[in-house]
Amino acid sequence: MSGELFTVGKSVAPVYGIEKATGEMRFPADVNLPSMLWMKILRSPYAHAKIAAIDVSDALKMPGVAAVLTHKDVPTILFGPYQNEIYSLDEELRFVGDTVAAVAAEDWNIAEQATRAIRVTYETLAAVLDAEAGAAPGAPDAVLHYPDFSEIKPGDIRPDQLGTFGNIVGLKEGGPTVVNQRGDVERGFADSDVAVERVFRQSEVNAVSHEPRACVAVYENERCTLWCSVQDPYRLQDSAARVLGLPMDAVRVVSTNLGGAFGVKVTGRFAILCALLACKTGRPVKIWFTREEESLDSHNRSALTHYVKAGAKKDGSLTALQVRTFQDNGYWPFGGLGQNIAFAISTRPVDLYHRCPNVKWEVFAVRTNYPSTGPYRGRADAESHFPIESVMDELAHRIHMDPIEFRLKNRIHEGDDLCSAPGKIVSTVWVEEAARAGAKTIGWERRSAVPAATLGPRKRGIGMAMVIHSCGSNPAGTSEAEVVVDLDGRISLFSGTPDQGSEQQTTLRQMVAEIFGVAVEDVHGSNADTSTCPYDSGPFSSRTVYATGIAASRAAEDAKKKVLEQAALLWKRAPGDLSIAKHAVWVRSEPLRKLDLGEIARAAGSPISGKGVHNGKDDRLFAYGFAAAFAEVEVDVGTGEVKILRLVSSHDVGRAINPMIVEGQILGGAVQGLGYALTEGFCFDPRTGTALNQWFLDLRTPSILDIPDIEPVVVELGEPTHPFGAKGCSEISYVGVAPAVANAIYNAAGIRLTELPMTPDRVLKALQELKSNAP
Amino acid sequence: MMDAQESHNVTLKINGKVHHVDVDSNWMLNDVLRNRLELTGTKRACDYGGCGSCTVLMDGVDVYSCSTLAVEAQGKEILTIEGLGNSENLHPLQKSFAFSYAAQCGWCTPGMIMSAKSLLDHNPKPTEAEVRAALSGVLCRCTGYTSIVKAVLDAASVIRGET
Repeated sequence: MSGELFTVGKSVAPVYGIEKATGEMRFPADVNLPSMLWMKILRSPYAHAKIAAIDVSDALKMPGVAAVLTHKDVPTILFGPYQNEIYSLDEELRFVGDTVAAVAAEDWNIAEQATRAIRVTYETLAAVLDAEAGAAPGAPDAVLHYPDFSEIKPGDIRPDQLGTFGNIVGLKEGGPTVVNQRGDVERGFADSDVAVERVFRQSEVNAVSHEPRACVAVYENERCTLWCSVQDPYRLQDSAARVLGLPMDAVRVVSTNLGGAFGVKVTGRFAILCALLACKTGRPVKIWFTREEESLDSHNRSALTHYVKAGAKKDGSLTALQVRTFQDNGYWPFGGLGQNIAFAISTRPVDLYHRCPNVKWEVFAVRTNYPSTGPYRGRADAESHFPIESVMDELAHRIHMDPIEFRLKNRIHEGDDLCSAPGKIVSTVWVEEAARAGAKTIGWERRSAVPAATLGPRKRGIGMAMVIHSCGSNPAGTSEAEVVVDLDGRISLFSGTPDQGSEQQTTLRQMVAEIFGVAVEDVHGSNADTSTCPYDSGPFSSRTVYATGIAASRAAEDAKKKVLEQAALLWKRAPGDLSIAKHAVWVRSEPLRKLDLGEIARAAGSPISGKGVHNGKDDRLFAYGFAAAFAEVEVDVGTGEVKILRLVSSHDVGRAINPMIVEGQILGGAVQGLGYALTEGFCFDPRTGTALNQWFLDLRTPSILDIPDIEPVVVELGEPTHPFGAKGCSEISYVGVAPAVANAIYNAAGIRLTELPMTPDRVLKALQELKSNAP
Repeated sequence: MMDAQESHNVTLKINGKVHHVDVDSNWMLNDVLRNRLELTGTKRACDYGGCGSCTVLMDGVDVYSCSTLAVEAQGKEILTIEGLGNSENLHPLQKSFAFSYAAQCGWCTPGMIMSAKSLLDHNPKPTEAEVRAALSGVLCRCTGYTSIVKAVLDAASVIRGET
């Protein structure tokens, strides 16, 4: 789009802002219906067990209990958020917190008490409670009972996920899930002047969406409606229809607004069981998770161990990168999305450092008896950039080169082929611009090239990290959109994507408004209701502004074209003679001659509808987001405390459709990234698999008192594959923070922290090691 | 949670309106607001006073409704987000949160606004540090807090009649 833009690029007020600030917004948990029952889940106390016997008679006798479901009562039909690979209840229990049975009762108290009246005899089984140990030959099986192959329908699970079963997801028995290899790493190390070798460990973390998942199910006249906290309403529609034995169009899912999601709120057993209980009782049923359930029956970022070795020449050329990663995949039978995440872990940083000729990156995604893992904000890249960016920093230091220049020397360039998206080439790469703008903002020139240069017990330093992440061009997703001009001239956008807090409807409506030349308040519509909105894969991989944005723009252009054609017909003019603005069509040569949009729709005899679709499968050009994070820290060598003084988060966003929202996403991602860096991380009892810190305060998400001065920097140099040049940036803002802080800690105190979170005890331990290794 | 329940009829004065509700001994004020009185603007996120999204004012003091027994609220004046204002008549705090993207997902927002309301009632001209201290009992996962602090300071100056 050329020329002056009307609403794109402006910080217009969020469309859902007032509903959120008044409490009028209806989230799924806010739906209450007459005669509604409450559902509670009985959860497994064991990491791995089989239900030997289950007796629900006492529970059913309790006054107020309407129904109980056990694995004996549910159809053995597969469904699932990623691949359809799980039953709604199973006799094998695979983690502490796994779903044993579900109760529906008159109120939440009675339902809770009834779960405790269910008598279960468990037969405990050997559990896998460490990913690396689980990958070793002779380890017990984390999953014994696999779904029946005859249940698996084409398209559900990739063939390479089936076959022999060990604990390693994917099927090369004894081998890794994924290997990304090019060149010859041994030769690369022989060519190098310096090499570094380190082991990195990262704790499992939860997204901590503040809205605990909820579902309200109504089943009547062989139709089912679900108000549910999911980012993938169409997947839930498919899953619920399969299990209930209904046609898809008899299932309606509404998930318009979610109280945070961050990638992990996907179709789950809670929603399917809620639907089954509504079907069984003939009454509306509601489940609303406790915080403990939200922590454990979710999809967390994996715990990881990386063995990294990297080499470079004195001139700053990377010569070799060798990594072996163990990724705790949790309990999913075939691995859920573990394989996709493993692939992205092993390829994205390699694309970022495209000039490195010799690479071997192996990932072992290992089934364990821990909670499920999955795509949480910054999926795969938050997992991989902490080790890679730490090692890049160390290599630069070893060859006495500025860490920014070292990275830029080896970086990806426009038009480079992508190992993370085979057959595709990257379109725009504004990573150098982002890195230099960020460096300028933080005052990079103040950074001492020598670590631990500050005297005294509080040592200051500056560090940075450079990152790549999806900006929405994920070819696994599809977005459809519809723009309708009604008989009264009202313009509406219908999109299937839920709003989980990114206010995507604002951004999408800005694009539609721009195309029609109206204010954003003049674009209406609804989102994420499967009965009224066209299909969308959902807001994952920062794809809404990009992929749904392309679909919405195409739909608006299509509707606009039809409006102009209809007006041209009425006036007997060529559509090219006409223009559209201010809710009307105008004749270019006659400034007073106009037809309102409503008049045109009435003349057409029906609302005018435009459709748009985006799926990047066949596109050669692939858009990526890039960013550079900078941290200035103060390390107290007496207490081990790390204080963040400043954080600069600089982003290649292509173009900011709504700068206020873009900056809000960058700030929010940066603070979550700080949690990952310094405080968050699950502790599990390694003998029993029980979580020890699943409650809110123990999850240690940053509070308003923990936040430093954070400065977002937005680089807007465009992206030709998007109609307005936009790239998504909501997730990448998380990715660079932890490594930037780690590198700043090195610059401040001369210690390399290799474990996340970087807690004071780990800082003190590293300081002690530094002291004992000193000459 | 207790097993043995005793039912009580409590009188709650919420947003200026009197309600008589039958509650079990262990029901929380949050349960009654959300599940019996349709006042779902008040949220719950942690169940035990760890996050503040359930904050309401009880006799002018900000309390966690998830950790306040319904029977404790007997006879008290409760103010919830619904009583503060609505889309037709926005309170300055609601207005500043709504328009400045200080409400991202919106889940902590009612608690954040009620906590800020309590602050501004007692301290109409807070410093930034005072805003941070007063709101430290409410956690947010989306915004990074910067826009929230600004929204409260902006609303405070509107209430004082300065802008």
